[in-house]
Amino acid sequence: MAEAAPLWWALALPPVLAVAAAATALAAAPAGHGVAPLRELARRRRRTVAADAPLATLGAVLLPLAAVSGAVVLPLGFRSVSDLAVGVVWFNAMAALAWPAVWLAGWGPNSALSLIGGYRFLAQGLAYEVPHMLALTTAALGAGSLRVGAVVEAQRGLWFVTWMPVAFAVHLLSAAAMAFWGPFDRPVGRDVAGGAAGELGGADRLSFLGGRWLLLVVAAGMAVPLFLGGGHGPLLPAWCWTLVKTAAVLAALLWLRRRLPAVRMDRFAAVAWTVVTPLAVAQALVVAVVVLGR
Amino acid sequence: MGVRAALRRRAVARPAVLLAAVPGGTPSRLAVERAVRAAGWPLVEGPAAADLLVVAGRPAPGAAGWWDELYDRLPGPRARVSVAEPEHAARALSAGRDLLRAAGGAAARPARPSGRHGGPGPGGPVVAGPVVAGPVSDHLPLAERGDDRDGLRLDVLRLPLGPVLLDWPAGLVLRLALQGDVVVSATMDPPSPAPAAGGPPFWDEPWLRAARGEPVARAAAARRLCAAHLDSVGRLLGVAGWAALAGSAHRLRDGLLTGADPAAVRRGARSLVRRGERSLTARWMLRGLGRLPTALARRAGVTGPALAAGGDAYDRFRCWLAEIERSAGLLTAPGLLGAGERVGPRGRLGGGRPPSAALLDVLPRLVEGSEFGAARLVVASLDPDLDELSRAAAHG
Amino acid sequence: MLGDLLFWVLAAVAVGAGGLVFGCASMARATYALLAALSAVGGEVVLLGLDYLGVVIVLMMTLEMALMAVFMIMFMMSPSGLSPMSMRHNTRGAAAICAGVFGLLAAGALLAPWPERAGRAPADPTRALGLSLMGPQMLTMTVLGMVLFATIVAVVVLATRHGRYDRPPAGAREAARRGGEVG
Repeated sequence: MAEAAPLWWALALPPVLAVAAAATALAAAPAGHGVAPLRELARRRRRTVAADAPLATLGAVLLPLAAVSGAVVLPLGFRSVSDLAVGVVWFNAMAALAWPAVWLAGWGPNSALSLIGGYRFLAQGLAYEVPHMLALTTAALGAGSLRVGAVVEAQRGLWFVTWMPVAFAVHLLSAAAMAFWGPFDRPVGRDVAGGAAGELGGADRLSFLGGRWLLLVVAAGMAVPLFLGGGHGPLLPAWCWTLVKTAAVLAALLWLRRRLPAVRMDRFAAVAWTVVTPLAVAQALVVAVVVLGR
Repeated sequence: MGVRAALRRRAVARPAVLLAAVPGGTPSRLAVERAVRAAGWPLVEGPAAADLLVVAGRPAPGAAGWWDELYDRLPGPRARVSVAEPEHAARALSAGRDLLRAAGGAAARPARPSGRHGGPGPGGPVVAGPVVAGPVSDHLPLAERGDDRDGLRLDVLRLPLGPVLLDWPAGLVLRLALQGDVVVSATMDPPSPAPAAGGPPFWDEPWLRAARGEPVARAAAARRLCAAHLDSVGRLLGVAGWAALAGSAHRLRDGLLTGADPAAVRRGARSLVRRGERSLTARWMLRGLGRLPTALARRAGVTGPALAAGGDAYDRFRCWLAEIERSAGLLTAPGLLGAGERVGPRGRLGGGRPPSAALLDVLPRLVEGSEFGAARLVVASLDPDLDELSRAAAHG
Repeated sequence: MLGDLLFWVLAAVAVGAGGLVFGCASMARATYALLAALSAVGGEVVLLGLDYLGVVIVLMMTLEMALMAVFMIMFMMSPSGLSPMSMRHNTRGAAAICAGVFGLLAAGALLAPWPERAGRAPADPTRALGLSLMGPQMLTMTVLGMVLFATIVAVVVLATRHGRYDRPPAGAREAARRGGEVG
């Protein structure tokens, strides 16, 4: 069912994602704070003493690049820019580029608080990555394919969220964690004066924080083809269903953010390894048994 | 250049504010926070994100040096204003915006490389120091090493925290020795004396005035008490990363200080307290941080909520919430405050030492051994008020 | 044609970034130069038609290098590379070994009698490769992987009982006890 998309989709992808990320950021910001990107464009870059400026800039640029590359396999309706045969792993690999990106942005400026932010993200990565990989594996297992198009196709009747709820929840949790956003925002937290983003100014800052919103939108959007049936749905056209479902996932994340204080990794990592990971393994096991029995 | 200038004009319509409060500047800080919120401007956590530096309060003479240094770390276009009197907050902010508009031209000089190296001077350090690095030039010392708690020898990073951090007690400078992200030791700079012209510490004012024999309405004292605890809770929640609830606490506090209707305050306080009490995540994140058992607290001379809570940061958080609800119920209480009633928001007043002095005494012990973020939560859960000390230093 | 071009570009990146690892004075730069080299290798593997392996190499190397940077910095003096330091030790011996190994590998690649392709390439080369490598031991290896993973989790669980943060330092405990006796 997944048809090849025309080439111009590849060109349209970054601006479309940027618009979606900006809309999400606006919806999340308190009234009047939406002009932040304008402000960054007007600002100068900052320099700190003995900084490794190329590395900091690399980190800042890598984050939006990672998000957009990951979005290549994200289908709108039933079409994506490129429906790679290993699309699920591709998404995972591109999202993993956030690890070096945040750490480099924290390391580069040679400032203690921003470095703490960078290291916090690595700790966070260790906590969320294994359960997240298991959640992605579970969805791929249910479809018997790593191709995102095939995963969507396998949900023609029954959405995966109905029989893999744990994997879906883990994916949502990981989406917030990999975008270091909401309850997982400690790598750029206020308690470390902005953390990894704390010393970035001007274009670097815009690229880094914008990349963060892109990553959140892409990771939340990935929940739609993996667990929420992609473009499947009654009445509306497929692309419309994708948009509606993505917006719903993002709205749920925004709602959750208002309800929760931030989660610190010195507490959360233990739970991630002792509770979330075994749960995700158990979910994968259940799905494997069901698939074998079919 | 035309596009850039247009962008700049749009952006500075709502400048991002870095608020630096000095000891004794609490009323000015509150006024600035209120005005910033009313104008819908963002209050940011560090110089990189700021357009406008607002100094709240009257800096002590001689401390001006590090304001310059902090200002140098704003990327620009930038401006700074100072708010010495709370009444001038709104006017100073709009003056700041005008300055920013004017600074938008090419005349603004670029930001100087920032950061301070080696031992900070007497002016005190600003937001954060650099990572200690090799001897590339005269002022970058090589990291020293020290014994780690796990029996290793690890690099020690000496990092001064404060006095300008968001949700941080104004004027507090905590010098941390970090191994990794663990605080291995902490010392405090002596509080700087406040300018002699100031009045009594803002949060303790009703009780101190009553002690001097002035008539102070019980309702007014309850209002101040409730606002003080809302301020503390809002700061703790800010550090804990719960921006939504911190915003509610601060809005409620501003309402109280500007004479909001007691019934509305009571409703708001109840909803806030319920949300705080019900949060399992807050409990999970604050439990076990900065344990201060009753016996230890009493021995250190701690009074007030920190003693009553007799436990960890979560107990203190719950104690504040309970006090908020209780004092919100007293907003219409009749009568005057007796001269003997001397328990302010942070403890017993009128003894030899202000209550915050005892809090500061126990503070280093409580942050040692905790992770960096946890240490910040411990400081916020004690929330010492350095106004009390700097008055004592100025008068004594 | 495009494949050839990509091959040579990726090869140049891999070798160039690999050389850069030894040219950087900063541990952070060295580590991420290594990541660039390994990612280029992952790209080469994708060009071979082993999509899954190639992408997994990029994924795993990204995570590993991000963590390795931490260890590199932890164990090296002058982590940020602000003072000149060299990644090269025993330059002459190392150069001889490298040249020898390179010559051996290149000779092997050029001189080995590569078999002609018989039949068509399988639809999924990764699957075919996995089957020919693991064969009947696939189940064993999978179970082994899970056991290893469970062991790691169990070890972490045992270690977190006395985590790094929540344990008061011995000195403070001592001081608290002494304080208790005095006070």
